Amino acid sequence: MAKPDPVTLEVIRNTLPAITNEMSYDLQRTSYNMMIYEVRDYCCALLDVEGRLLSQNIGGVSHFVSDLGVVIRDGIGQHGRDGFRPGDVVITNHQRVAGQHLNNIVTYTPIFFEGALTAFAAVRAHWIDVGGMSTGFGAGSSVTDPWMEGLQIDQIKLYEAGVPDPKVHKLISDNIRYPESSMGDLRAQVAACRLAERRVQELLRRYRRDVVLDGIELIFDETEAKCRAVVERLPDGTYEAESFLDPDRLEPDRPIQIVVRVTIEGSDMTIDLTRCSTQRKGAYNSRTLAGAYVAYKALTTPLEPVNEGSFRALKVEIQEGNFMMARYPAAMAGWSTALPTVIDTVFRALAPALPDRIPAAHLGTLGVPVVFFGTDPRTRRRFVVQSIEGGGWGGRPWEDGESATVSICQGDVRNGPIESIELKCPVVIESRELRRDSGGPGKFRGGLGVATRVTNLVEGYWNLGNTLRTGCPPWGLWGGGEGAVPAGLLRLPGEPDFTAIDVTHHLVPPGTTAVVVSAGGGGWGDPLERDPERVREDVVEGYVSLEAAQSRYGVVLDPTTGAVDELATRRCRARMRAARRGVPPGSDAHGTDPGRTR
Amino acid sequence: MTLTVALDIGGTFTDLISFDEATGVVRHAKSSTTPSDLSIGIRDCLEKSGLDVRQAESFIHGSTIAINTAIERTGARTALIVTQGMRDVYRIGRGNRPEAYNLYFKRPIPYVPRRRTFEVRERLGATGEVIVPFDPEQAMRVVEEVKSSDAEAVAVCFIHSYLNPDHEARMGRLLREAVPETYLSLSHEILREYREYERTSTTVLNAYVGPKVSQYLSHLERLLSSLGFDGSFLIMQSNGGVMSPDTAKRIPVAMMESGPVGGIIAAASVGATLGFKDVIAFDMGGTTAKASLVEGNVPSITQGYYIGGYASGHPVMLPVVDVVEVGAGGGSIAWIDEVGALKVGPQSAGGHPGPICYGWGGVEPTVTDANVLLGRIDQRRFLGGEMPLDAERARRGVAERVAEPLGLSVIEAALGIVRIAVAKMSLAIRGISVERGFDPRDFALVAFGGAGPLHACEIARELHLPTVVVPRLPAHFSALGMLMADLRHDYVQTYHKPLLESDFGRIRAICSELIAQGRQVLGSEGVRADRMTFETYLDVRYVGQEFWIQTPVSQAELEAADRALIRRRFDEIHDRRYGHHAPEEPVEIVNIRVTAQGSRDRPVFPKVRSVAADPLLEHRRVYLDDPGTPARCPIYDRDLLAPGMEVEGPAIIQEYASTTLLFPGDVARVADTGEIIVSIDSAG
Repeated sequence: MAKPDPVTLEVIRNTLPAITNEMSYDLQRTSYNMMIYEVRDYCCALLDVEGRLLSQNIGGVSHFVSDLGVVIRDGIGQHGRDGFRPGDVVITNHQRVAGQHLNNIVTYTPIFFEGALTAFAAVRAHWIDVGGMSTGFGAGSSVTDPWMEGLQIDQIKLYEAGVPDPKVHKLISDNIRYPESSMGDLRAQVAACRLAERRVQELLRRYRRDVVLDGIELIFDETEAKCRAVVERLPDGTYEAESFLDPDRLEPDRPIQIVVRVTIEGSDMTIDLTRCSTQRKGAYNSRTLAGAYVAYKALTTPLEPVNEGSFRALKVEIQEGNFMMARYPAAMAGWSTALPTVIDTVFRALAPALPDRIPAAHLGTLGVPVVFFGTDPRTRRRFVVQSIEGGGWGGRPWEDGESATVSICQGDVRNGPIESIELKCPVVIESRELRRDSGGPGKFRGGLGVATRVTNLVEGYWNLGNTLRTGCPPWGLWGGGEGAVPAGLLRLPGEPDFTAIDVTHHLVPPGTTAVVVSAGGGGWGDPLERDPERVREDVVEGYVSLEAAQSRYGVVLDPTTGAVDELATRRCRARMRAARRGVPPGSDAHGTDPGRTR
Repeated sequence: MTLTVALDIGGTFTDLISFDEATGVVRHAKSSTTPSDLSIGIRDCLEKSGLDVRQAESFIHGSTIAINTAIERTGARTALIVTQGMRDVYRIGRGNRPEAYNLYFKRPIPYVPRRRTFEVRERLGATGEVIVPFDPEQAMRVVEEVKSSDAEAVAVCFIHSYLNPDHEARMGRLLREAVPETYLSLSHEILREYREYERTSTTVLNAYVGPKVSQYLSHLERLLSSLGFDGSFLIMQSNGGVMSPDTAKRIPVAMMESGPVGGIIAAASVGATLGFKDVIAFDMGGTTAKASLVEGNVPSITQGYYIGGYASGHPVMLPVVDVVEVGAGGGSIAWIDEVGALKVGPQSAGGHPGPICYGWGGVEPTVTDANVLLGRIDQRRFLGGEMPLDAERARRGVAERVAEPLGLSVIEAALGIVRIAVAKMSLAIRGISVERGFDPRDFALVAFGGAGPLHACEIARELHLPTVVVPRLPAHFSALGMLMADLRHDYVQTYHKPLLESDFGRIRAICSELIAQGRQVLGSEGVRADRMTFETYLDVRYVGQEFWIQTPVSQAELEAADRALIRRRFDEIHDRRYGHHAPEEPVEIVNIRVTAQGSRDRPVFPKVRSVAADPLLEHRRVYLDDPGTPARCPIYDRDLLAPGMEVEGPAIIQEYASTTLLFPGDVARVADTGEIIVSIDSAG
């Protein structure tokens, strides 16, 4: 055992995340599609020869957390431990193992040190198109199997011993719509892996291979201990909550049921997802533990780097055939759609255990995508408008929720600047606005959703709707109200009004206007307990209408001065409280009871 | 030029440095800052230094007033006027949460409330064409609303105004007529680059700090003239240049990050003098260490930064000297986390109570305490002996809080604390060099700040840097750098076209327009035409990419419309920085940039004269790498080292407020101009 001293250990601990961050920086700066440079829909990781996570960049899409191990283990299974040579690059997106939509392309390279296979560097990144129906954010709900979705690649060597295979390159680039973009992304992915190879080799040379490897074991142990220390402080018990997503078109009578049971016993946490919906005929299937992992990470060590130790003290129960552990060839194009809701449901279950920490529900969808694509007749160039708009987050036990922010599954994910989109694509973005009254009422109000209005100047295709959270809006907690639900609206030229719509690859003429509307967050606590001055401030700022101030918060403002009419407010609130009597305790008209305790 | 004065007013201290070229005398004085009346500190400094400001030819001022006003949120009541439909663009921002797992993330808090954000009916398209004409009647109604909102400052930012400023300018005229006393910022007068949120944020910040900064500068101007100063008064900017007070009052947001730039300019200048074209400026003080890359004697500039940090801060889309900062300074605290891991920083003991060894009540061991225990800092001669250090107390602190819990000896613990700090700083420097495609082996490390020279040789070895330069007056180097700054203004114009389809006539016209702007501003600041230089850049990227590379082009290349050459240069830079490029892929131009500079005479430091005294003070036991055996180190007095003299490591060179540590194999030589140049033994 070459146990490193505490100083060397700290140096190794700082260096591993620095390497994955450097990979991330380069990938982002040189990528060709907004899914990478703005949405940061990628992850960069170092793994050991058992597929254990040494380090992963943090910042972009959170649901990629610690999910490359299965891919590496599958690759070792197919190629054999001795089947890798220095300079190899493997590419894969196969859902049998990767379990995500096909747009997520993984490339990885073996890292050799003094002749021995020592680690892997891997990058998973969202390509703008992989053929089939995958354009933009992915095929979403429109497909029923992987072949419809796009090109499937199963652990193919793209480079052998440093030599690129032109046939594989050609086969891929012939079968995707934007090869110039995706082959550029591929170059950036490979370069990031190569960079990591050099950095890891430097580290091994500097501190010796055995010292570094033993140090990594210690780092795993410490990370696990940190997580355990947090869970240890939570009251033991079993906590449950339920929610659902709207049914998809193939099974209109079967909502996507989310049932979560969290058990805390000492420093162990178990998240049981076995009673969630079984495998779907539609495309909302996946193979992922992210619903449990993201929630656990946020509760335990939100600001610490990620490694294999981050989840060792968590047990996730999920069975084959669950929609989040679906059997190939289930359609997985909408693989991550349910995740923000699953994660929020874990939090909801834990609300009674952590009443002073758990916020009300957030928008619960993966932001709201704006997707319009086609070919500009003036330049004959293909274009894709893509932006992810944020929505409202739930009220917190001590303050209002944030507005217009991407979901829990998206971290440093940025919307597209209006000027940038218009410079590249033939559309006019007419407005991007906060939705008044969309935040759930509460002692601490939910954040506001966003409405973005876009008119296309040329013919093209819209992907709109697919919001899935209209039946179960973002819930409030402890008496707080629901946030407003999301929507996709369309108005063809000549039509007087907008129509709510749920479409993929929907061809429209020039002059069509779409409005993409995101949900507000749920409220925390009884809105009748909200400080009337804060309600007045919300009215002045235009976050809450005068009518809603009275109907939801019981706050009456003087029509001439705008000041709080204290007497009228007291009376109004008393009337509203009286009207509530008869409603069973522990819930209210909005159905906002937190999870049950057993 | 004879006498130049630089004045740096920080939150705690007012620092003054002057250089008299005729005599070669450098004077320095420090005084407490009195926020209520800054003139007290200035007068005090002048008195202490014995300086006659009437003799000064120029007076350069660096101030934290702009950034403090923004961070402390003590600026003007500001209104914002935007394009119809865009009222919430400033509040929505980019919708991101950089702390991906933090449920309690904070979005930036806007400087303008929604009720003072007004929409005007107008809209331009992405080629600058008018989609909705400017509606002057509706705009006048907005002006009335601004008036009744009691705004002290107004920011205007319309969509695509960077391409066609007409609507913004018309709005500006209406406002100037109706509310002439209100501070006004029009986005196109600050920057002409696309990205509406970032441009709005920059314009709002400018308006928000504008009234206060203007008042402050006017006050200083009056003070200086009452003291008889009639030379040129110049203000430090974030981009490494200086500007006149009139420009600063118009674009105060350009002062925002001027704090760390002085030292970087000075490092570039020292590099140039000594023949090192490429240097890394390394500044280690009490709370943080900062590093910046200087390539070809030019500090590297980055386009944009965040006030208040990236996670919850406000973007400013203006050029700034590219600095990385890590929480590793002399005062950084060593601690053990809940699972027993040894950490250094980012918490700092600061100036008060400071390290344990200061004896001011500090109880947490710091990097400075570790250095004292290792014998690297002289406990008796700290600050020239003005402040003896308590090594025994430091030993107890390190023993109790670090060594014993980890089962290490005190010396092992102290060495470990320094090593972790050095490793953190090395990672940061790698971040601006290796990670951006520069080979550190081509660079010299210019080390300054109180603690820089002490750690420089260790960092250089870690990064395979062959040379360390310790300049004269390392502890006052930042202020010294302000004396050397040129006037500088940066201009940008978005021009978005594939390179092959780009119209070089149009590009040249835009360049000429930007150069004319620069010429006009420099002229108004008193710069003679033969002192002006203009550099031109094209921001280029592969079609489909978002991030561009600022690619230098000469006037002749623009004249020749040499697309192939520009293309090749871009491919080369891309390859060097990121390790790959795509010569067959189409590229596009995004922005055109012009940097206008007005050169000032730089102070020329006289050669140091030999002093007839033995520089060797004593020998001391100093721990270098081996915790078991200290090395017997000769200690030299820097003030007595003669030019040309060589010192072989292990050795320590001490001066008033700094210490240089040489390891075995390192060889230091004193330059004619007084700098210490260390050849690093990279085998060590």
